[in-house]
Amino acid sequence: MQQKEFLEIILPVKDKLFRLARRILVSTDEAEDAVQEVFLKLWKGKDNMEKYKNPEAFAMTMTKNYCLDRLKSKQASNLKIVHNNFHHTDNIERTVEGNEGVEMVLKLMETLPEKQRMIMQLRDVEQFEFAEISEMLEINETAIRVGLSRARKTIREQLIKQYNYGIS
Amino acid sequence: MELANIESLLEDYFEGNTTLEQEAILRTYFANEEVADHLAPYKNLFAGLSMAKQEVSQRELVLPETAKSSRGMWYSIAASLAIVLTVAGFMFSNSGMSQDEQDALMALNKTKETMLMFSDNLNKGTEPMFLLSENFTKGTDALVAINEITLTTNKVLK
Repeated sequence: MQQKEFLEIILPVKDKLFRLARRILVSTDEAEDAVQEVFLKLWKGKDNMEKYKNPEAFAMTMTKNYCLDRLKSKQASNLKIVHNNFHHTDNIERTVEGNEGVEMVLKLMETLPEKQRMIMQLRDVEQFEFAEISEMLEINETAIRVGLSRARKTIREQLIKQYNYGIS
Repeated sequence: MELANIESLLEDYFEGNTTLEQEAILRTYFANEEVADHLAPYKNLFAGLSMAKQEVSQRELVLPETAKSSRGMWYSIAASLAIVLTVAGFMFSNSGMSQDEQDALMALNKTKETMLMFSDNLNKGTEPMFLLSENFTKGTDALVAINEITLTTNKVLK
């Protein structure tokens, strides 16, 4: 496979991979690093990639695994994960500036357990079918629905709390 | 979309039982309409989720220059070396002639010399032949004379 061909398959997925990585790792910089690493791995293993029916799902799974590994190794080395989520200076912050409620959703998502965070990211942000999410996260569909329901309910609870606090 | 419908969809949504199409309906509803007070928090929810999708990677992708495997690289190095050596060989050979051409020229000159020598000797050889033929003619003259003598002798004897 040539570089051009490879990029044609993989570039349209880049931002989705980035957002998933960003959701798991929280830091924008680390998410960019993760995407770079995953692309290098995909490029090295590009001959295998042709065997996969769904390169997008394959790339997503690799991103998920890579990011979870990164988290694990950070925790193992007792590095405190710095939640600098809202000090980042990326485009999201600028666009949601002045819209506390909307920004709150992203902030709340980052408090969810990783699994729920990934499920909600793939379903509510990227709008994948349950079958696709199941393939990407290597979790069965029932578990995905359960995780998704919990994630959505947690967010709702917090949003309502914030909302009531805001108007009271 | 009627409010009751939206409320029922929301219920399904939080149970994880909505389809993508139903979720799209919810997104559109909360993006466009003025919503009842008790649904106001959901407006932020769906707006936030849509916002999250607009985030894009800012970093340029860096892939190693066509990672053709090192074997390919050695092939190209060998090919360029061969070309360089060939060109250099031409430039350094005398008067633009290759070794073979020079050898051939030398052989030709030698052959010419030999042929000339041979033809000289051949000419020397033809001189004695002239002498010989002269003597031969003298011999035949003598023979003719002898024949005449014999004829005369025969006549006399008769």
